[in-house]
Amino acid sequence: MKILKYSDITSHNLYLNRRKFIGSLGCTSLAFVPTPVAATQSYSTTAKPNTIEEITNYNNFYEFGTSKTDPAKYAHSLTTNPWEIAFEGISQNKKKFDIVEILKGKAIQERIYRLRCVEGWSMVIPWIGFPLRDLINELEVDNNTKFVAFETVYRPEEMRGQKRSTLDWPYREGLTIEEALHPLTFIATGLYGEELPNQNGAPFRLVVPWKYGFKSIKSITKISFKKEQPYTTWSSENPREYGFYSNVNPNVDHPRWSQATERVIGEGLFGERRKTELFNGYIEQVGDLYKGMDLKKYY
Amino acid sequence: MAFSTLFRSLHISLLYSTLLIPIPLYFYWGIVNQLGPDPLRFIEHKYGELGLIFLLITLSISPLLKYTRINLVRYRRCIGLVAFYYIVSHICVYFFLDIGLSIDILLSDLQKRYYIIAGFFAFITLIPLALTSNNFAIRKLNTKTWNKIHNFVYIAIILSIFHFILMSKTWTTELYIYTGITIIILILKIKSSKIYRKLSTYSRAVISK
Repeated sequence: MKILKYSDITSHNLYLNRRKFIGSLGCTSLAFVPTPVAATQSYSTTAKPNTIEEITNYNNFYEFGTSKTDPAKYAHSLTTNPWEIAFEGISQNKKKFDIVEILKGKAIQERIYRLRCVEGWSMVIPWIGFPLRDLINELEVDNNTKFVAFETVYRPEEMRGQKRSTLDWPYREGLTIEEALHPLTFIATGLYGEELPNQNGAPFRLVVPWKYGFKSIKSITKISFKKEQPYTTWSSENPREYGFYSNVNPNVDHPRWSQATERVIGEGLFGERRKTELFNGYIEQVGDLYKGMDLKKYY
Repeated sequence: MAFSTLFRSLHISLLYSTLLIPIPLYFYWGIVNQLGPDPLRFIEHKYGELGLIFLLITLSISPLLKYTRINLVRYRRCIGLVAFYYIVSHICVYFFLDIGLSIDILLSDLQKRYYIIAGFFAFITLIPLALTSNNFAIRKLNTKTWNKIHNFVYIAIILSIFHFILMSKTWTTELYIYTGITIIILILKIKSSKIYRKLSTYSRAVISK
């Protein structure tokens, strides 16, 4: 069987041309959908991205082991082609889609996002992919959907970490439907203009830049639209320490450590800590989602 | 006689330098960026973990002698002090590099963070041990006092394990291993303690009556 590469879906040239095209318009392709953010505003940060070596060798992906270097060592054993995603809570008869079908016709774009881990470190990552809303808008989602639940693939024979009960597998995460439809909420299928490496959640992962990294679930095989708040792995593992929302917030500490500052990966041994920003610096874009919400209570 | 003393001190010095080499070596690798994307966390954790490992080795020496007749007692002081130097390095990385000499963060950590509090008291209990791990102190103090001071190491190991557990997100393999070894060491220590022996002879006496 032919191994499908990211470049088969979008050739590198086409990808670059698209970027040029988007750039010449002076706006992102998201200008086609009404958003509260000014059309000229880019969703990408201007911060300098981390190197590919840093991004691919420092990962939390417990499915491959609890050490940060385990995913780079062991993630190659995961088969990412073919890849199907099952949907629940949609009225279409067809409930399973191949990733190729999903990507067909999607405007692939680059998003340079900050990533803030709940452990107190941060990176800047140039993702490739499309806004999750572009996918949701194509589906006939059940009325009165309030939440979206995501599930990582469960394959202990390919993911050695799943043989041990470090977490209650499969890994699950969730968002409110408003969060899922937010233009910042992104599905990454690539990194640095190339196919997404397995250790970064290939072939299909979520990126929610204003929330702690663990919300951005990797290697997704199931997406469900729900009325009730879904089960989410870390908040069930330790509800006192990890909330359903888990928005980046320097004023709400993790019970065991401070969230006021973060170590910037790539700054080396003598790097200075960076002050953590509310919603990881995306307050202008997402502040409205949480207006009037007690962020200390809904952490 | 003089020659054998010299030989002895020579091979102890060799052990010291071998066991301590990783401290400057890791630091150098950190400076030249050979320790992956997060060198600070790497050396901070590595020094702490090696400190714990050497502490566990120090504590294993007397049960090892008792149950297997392997005698490493003459290396105990050396390994114990090596553990202390790793722990000092670990704290230096935390204070000078991780929190960047910030007294504010240090004080708030010491008030709010249980793992920092546990680690801090583990270090405090080890200071008198390190200070009395020399011939001069042994000559000056009577054996009873010296032994009492050096039993603090059991408090230090319990606090160190709590420090490790409290900072971890989940139970990793390493954590299971270190906790397991600590529990075994503590059980053996309790079994060999005077109170336990008295109690067990007493209960046996009661049963036989």
